[in-house]
Amino acid sequence: MSGSNGVSGSNGTSVPGGGSRPRGEARRTGAGFGRLLVTVYGVLAFAAIGRSTYELATKFSEAPFAYSLSTLSAVVYVLATIALAKGGPRWRTVAWVTVGFEAVGVLAVGAASAASPDVFGETTVWSGFGQGYGYIPLVLPFVGLWWLWRTRPRADDERAAPDPTATDPSATDLTPPEPTPDDPEVR
Amino acid sequence: MVLPLLILVLVACAALAGWALWFVVRDRAVILKQLFGAAVVEALVVVQAVVAGVLMATRDHPVDGPLFWGYVATALIVLPIAAVWAFAERTRWSSVVLAVAALTVGFLDWRLWQIWGVA
Repeated sequence: MSGSNGVSGSNGTSVPGGGSRPRGEARRTGAGFGRLLVTVYGVLAFAAIGRSTYELATKFSEAPFAYSLSTLSAVVYVLATIALAKGGPRWRTVAWVTVGFEAVGVLAVGAASAASPDVFGETTVWSGFGQGYGYIPLVLPFVGLWWLWRTRPRADDERAAPDPTATDPSATDLTPPEPTPDDPEVR
Repeated sequence: MVLPLLILVLVACAALAGWALWFVVRDRAVILKQLFGAAVVEALVVVQAVVAGVLMATRDHPVDGPLFWGYVATALIVLPIAAVWAFAERTRWSSVVLAVAALTVGFLDWRLWQIWGVA
């Protein structure tokens, strides 16, 4: 594997959701690190779909509550994956809700299963804080919440190119905007 | 399932993941050649599924069918989607995505082997 595979000549080294990001640049939830986040979410979504489909098809009556919970978590993972990948204003809201739901769900179900191992009759994705899946279901929602927070749109994040004369009350410079004498709008 | 094919798939997945991780270290995005590599892995998994299906049909091998084919379906769908998803990103994160996908397929294949044997 030599590095001489010069197919991709231009390698963007900048990370679109990364640290030093110019103001006004879109903060996309599905780019940069978000690309990995959505991938892991997608894998977990497929795992949850497969699991719940199998459970519903072959043994639902054995533990209806546990298997309903599996189905619910599958739906939530699918929604979270799509929402994080799309990342528009509305999808961002969906992402906050679904990822937050997962965080609460894995903690609640994990705690319940720890307190009383057979409370659900059968194990679920979230039983034992997701230990059946390498604790990924426990870690992932918190990484997701952090990422949503990090990529959040800010007041100075207008779609249009930043207007150099626009003032932002939340900006860090403490000097209030003063009208310049040669400003045509100042009388 | 047959052991040589399992080993072949696992080695192919490891090679693809290693190739992608090398690109992560080099701060490069996924290139077209790597997608061909992913296609080879995908083809091997298809061959494996066909062989397993033939073995199931011709011999009396007790396997949890829905579970087994569910894993086969997941193993087959991961790489194509991940390849498209990774290729759309032009930073090193695209290589991370491909590596994760290759490792996932390897893990699923290992689970397939377990399901095949345990049942």
